[in-house]
Amino acid sequence: MKSKSGLTLILALVISAIAVAAAAAHTDGPARTAAPAAPAASTAAAAKCGKTMYIGVAAPITGAASSIGVQQLHWAQFAVSQWNKSGAKPKFKIVQGDTQLPNVAEAIKVAKTLASDKRVWAVVGPAGSQEVQDSFASYKAGGLAFVSGSASRTTLTDGSRKGYFFRVVPNDSVQGPTVGKYIVNTLKAKNVYIIDDQETYSQGLADTVENYLKAHGITPGRDSISQQASDFSSQIAKIPSNTQIVYIPWQLSAQAQAFGQQLKGAGKSAKLFGSDGLFDPSTFKITGSYDSFFPVNTQSAQVKAYEKAHGGNGEFFGAPSGAAAGVAMLAVQKACQDGKITRSEVRKDVATTTIPKAQSVLGVAVHFTANGDLKGGAFGVYQIQSNGSYKRIG
Amino acid sequence: MRRLRGIGVGTAILIAVVGFFAWEIYDKGWVLFFTLLVNGLTLGSVYALIALGYTMVYGILKLLNFAHGDVYMIGAFIGFGVLTALGGSLAPEINVWLLIALMFAVSMLGSGGLGVVIERFAYRRLREAPRIAPLISALGVSFLLQNSALILFGSQYRDYDTFDLVGFGGINIHGVFIWKIRILVVAAAVALMIVLTLFVARTNLGKAMRATSFDREAAAMMGVDVDRVISSTFFIGSALAGAAGVMFGLAFGQIYHFMGFLAGLKGFTAAVVGGIGSIPGAMLGGILVGSAESFAQGYANGNWSDLIVFGILIVFMLVRPTGLLGTRAIQKV
Amino acid sequence: MADKPPTTEQPDQPRIGVDSWVASSDERIEGIRGARGVALGAFEHTPPPFRLAAFVALAATLPLFLSSGNLFRYGFFTLVYIMLGLGLNVVVGFAGLLDLGYVAFYGIGAYTYAILSSDLHGIHWPAEVTIPIAIIVSAVLGLTLGLSSRRLLGDYLAIVTLFFGQAFVTFANNANPKGLTGGANGIGNIDNISIFGYTLTTTKQYYYFILGGFVVVFAALWSLVRSRIGRSWMALREDPLAAQLMSIPVNRLKLLAFMFGAGIAGLTGAIVAPALTGVAPGNFDTSILITIYAVVILGGAGSLMGVVIGAIVINVSYELLTPATPDRARWLFYGILILAMLWKVRPWPKLITLVVTTVALGYGIHAIATATSDTATSGAVNTGGFLTGAIHSYVVIPKNPGRLPDYGYVLLIAMILVLTTVKGWWRVALLAPTLYLAAFVWENLLIQQPSVTRLILFGALLVALMNIRPQGLLGTARVEIV
Repeated sequence: MKSKSGLTLILALVISAIAVAAAAAHTDGPARTAAPAAPAASTAAAAKCGKTMYIGVAAPITGAASSIGVQQLHWAQFAVSQWNKSGAKPKFKIVQGDTQLPNVAEAIKVAKTLASDKRVWAVVGPAGSQEVQDSFASYKAGGLAFVSGSASRTTLTDGSRKGYFFRVVPNDSVQGPTVGKYIVNTLKAKNVYIIDDQETYSQGLADTVENYLKAHGITPGRDSISQQASDFSSQIAKIPSNTQIVYIPWQLSAQAQAFGQQLKGAGKSAKLFGSDGLFDPSTFKITGSYDSFFPVNTQSAQVKAYEKAHGGNGEFFGAPSGAAAGVAMLAVQKACQDGKITRSEVRKDVATTTIPKAQSVLGVAVHFTANGDLKGGAFGVYQIQSNGSYKRIG
Repeated sequence: MRRLRGIGVGTAILIAVVGFFAWEIYDKGWVLFFTLLVNGLTLGSVYALIALGYTMVYGILKLLNFAHGDVYMIGAFIGFGVLTALGGSLAPEINVWLLIALMFAVSMLGSGGLGVVIERFAYRRLREAPRIAPLISALGVSFLLQNSALILFGSQYRDYDTFDLVGFGGINIHGVFIWKIRILVVAAAVALMIVLTLFVARTNLGKAMRATSFDREAAAMMGVDVDRVISSTFFIGSALAGAAGVMFGLAFGQIYHFMGFLAGLKGFTAAVVGGIGSIPGAMLGGILVGSAESFAQGYANGNWSDLIVFGILIVFMLVRPTGLLGTRAIQKV
Repeated sequence: MADKPPTTEQPDQPRIGVDSWVASSDERIEGIRGARGVALGAFEHTPPPFRLAAFVALAATLPLFLSSGNLFRYGFFTLVYIMLGLGLNVVVGFAGLLDLGYVAFYGIGAYTYAILSSDLHGIHWPAEVTIPIAIIVSAVLGLTLGLSSRRLLGDYLAIVTLFFGQAFVTFANNANPKGLTGGANGIGNIDNISIFGYTLTTTKQYYYFILGGFVVVFAALWSLVRSRIGRSWMALREDPLAAQLMSIPVNRLKLLAFMFGAGIAGLTGAIVAPALTGVAPGNFDTSILITIYAVVILGGAGSLMGVVIGAIVINVSYELLTPATPDRARWLFYGILILAMLWKVRPWPKLITLVVTTVALGYGIHAIATATSDTATSGAVNTGGFLTGAIHSYVVIPKNPGRLPDYGYVLLIAMILVLTTVKGWWRVALLAPTLYLAAFVWENLLIQQPSVTRLILFGALLVALMNIRPQGLLGTARVEIV
């Protein structure tokens, strides 16, 4: 009978699945970890450096935030392939983890997977600040250093994650005042409107800028949209017509493009001011808009090579993840100099890794402060020219 | 007694709604009100088209086709494909209006075909099964479509760049600005709805559809080819969803692989609010949901607007459980 | 005995005019032969508490051979889905109500625990207080939602519950009145469960704790199902009108079902929150709801054991396909293809023809490709492990595939669909190129993006399983009685 053979097939599937799971569990090595809360004791055993080493990449590859996660993954893969091509030793491979932002539980699962994967020595990611916060315990239990290319909440580097968490982007307390200062001093705008996209990154930045403006005598209007929204006409109708600047610290550049066009179509003359999430010449193209971003040199050889490999698209949101991958690889290489490697050694090496300005795709040199922040990180202000290119003006 | 109570509640709500709008108009002006109304209509037309597909399929099969939102997404991508193949928004190779018409046509055909294929392979065997089985099958199809789109088209948002295509022109009535493309979208939606109503009311196939949705076995006994009718229903419903996808791309700009999920949810809401199984109900429900969303976002802070929309809809459903134009299900003993 | 009702040409589908008891009369008369029969017999002869004990004993050995990371993903989360599935089973499987907002109760339980045991508001109550509070809060909210079921039927209830679910996520994310829910950041640094002075810190301890919770819930539900309430629920599910005529308090039962389901979800949430050490609104959105529904439906709504098996199948296959180890996914993929071939293609001549044709076709095409162009087969195999050589010489992997794998993917889906419609030798003839195309698409497209492939396979699994066996693995075939 059809259903019987169907049922037996399914049972066979189940059995084989469990068998494979059991077998696969064994291939994770003698991972009879005792208490995972005991930090790094289980991974203290030194391993020999091989010809190929692995780093982990935790990014939202599927789900609602996949458009930014895929960019981060691509840049990390690009950094690794450039390294491998240059002949440096050891060679590297990536172990991917899909964190499915905003489902933070997946980020924690990825953290535990990477932590218990004996091959992984350092991790690039995760992307979201709340992911960093919630998966920290798992990374710490595994003794892994993790370098994020986009988690910018200021409180993440308050010292409680010292030695494990690092980031190659300046935090909100740098970007916010930079933007506020530019608006007040250079643009001399009096009527400002702020719209956030209800995600933690956006709200943090929006709050910082709002406070800065208020401290300097400007009271901005405040509104929010959801990341899934595409029709902004209602919000635009609420913006007073004398508004000069609309600050939109969003993550999705396509949303900003749609918003700007609808704003223009509604006859409002306000100019847009974006944040580092919107730096994307292929998508966000509204002439005259401002954007704050790291002082990236968009004409550099690295960027050009990346664009060539990705159909002309620079995917700049992911660029810091490429730098983070570079940091991870350098640290592992350094730890491997004596032929043996442990995760605590890699952590110490990440803390002291530097990338000189000339080689950094971010346009600033990479040094870490004691708490894991980027030393001397600064933001530049760009303006979109009529030919679509981004020109640095501040 | 019940009718009196119903009328009483209805009037109370009507007074509350009118009062609310009167206050807002007094507070924030007519221009804002009419702008929000126009937005609501545009958005509502898109939701109405999606809702029509849901309602038609439900009427015939009593199935909630959760893959419908993803057919809408595929339709939007097909339209984008046609646009790119013919030069893109900046340099279209043929007349702009002809291009748009072509986008609609190809997208509707493609989505319709996809709908037929989905019905044939995912739902046909489950007609006699417990009601939840085709639901899960639909969810599986939805996953498949979404992630196939992700793997084939990538995760980047695509832009129709409508303003490059048709320019910024529109009508300006005392400060209320209406773009050309939005007029086109609403007009196209209305036209499609009129065509559908005429089709269902006048043609033989339409009659067969109505008969099948009323009583499938009796219709089969009267010589109606039930399989063909069901396939046609799916074709029409999915074609409408495809048209909605192209409209959305034209009116609001960006398309991405995940867009079907939320739009499907709202379309489903519109179908149920209007009374599931009723075609005019779907249209009305769509406009209601679109307007609720538009007004909530316009009058309230963005953080609360979603909650307000949900609250309105929950209260609405509790007050009128079968939807606006739904029929009270008669239970046969 | 000889007078059996007439059968239709699809003997495994429910027959019109008979019900499931009669539909399975053949089986019960003849008994089930073979290994399956022996296993089933042994199963039915063990008293239920022993069955549960055996399962728990098996589950308790899991930490011995799984690392803590794997234990968390496979052991802990499977139990989470089992419990959520059991709770949803009460609402959907027993009472027959379509609740699309179920995941909100999971979230409410988690958030309640988080609010009462974290730094957010400085409240740090012990778990023996907070967990019951979480259960009660969820149950009360379940009751509130259930009140709406008095006026709404079927799909209208579905929509209101759906709104409720969305409203919860939006409330937690945006509304955040006075910082109650932590907003988009969620609530972090949640205290570990400290129950009666004993604090849980390791994954293993959490695993045993949730295993204990599972035993309690399962035992409670098992006895509930066999009580008067359970029987009334099943009567309500089959025919609400008839149930009402039999003086079963339909409305009260619906409310009870909602409360129970919500309570179980609240308990699960309260255990998961400290295990994750943080909650965020995004943890409770619709994708989780879909997974829970898949668990319940796959296992067979209305069957407790079915839910357990459904959760195991779904979670294990989902975690097995994690993008961190794509070669494991490859094992699973090829393994399933081979298994399916062996099971479904009978008799022997057809099977051997198929294998020979596929292998020959593969090597043939590979040879032709290599001959035509240098770059046609010089691409690298992605994480092949020790199969790399074999795969490289069999599957065509071009250096610059371009859009070819994309077209291949669409063509593959089309061919699979066509295969389901043809029969006999036509099927064998088409199967060979389809298998080779599947290998091609797998190596060139799917394995490059393992996270997306995981979801594609998941969706395909749902569709296929529903079409093969719509009542789920352990559900009973049910019919519409004319």
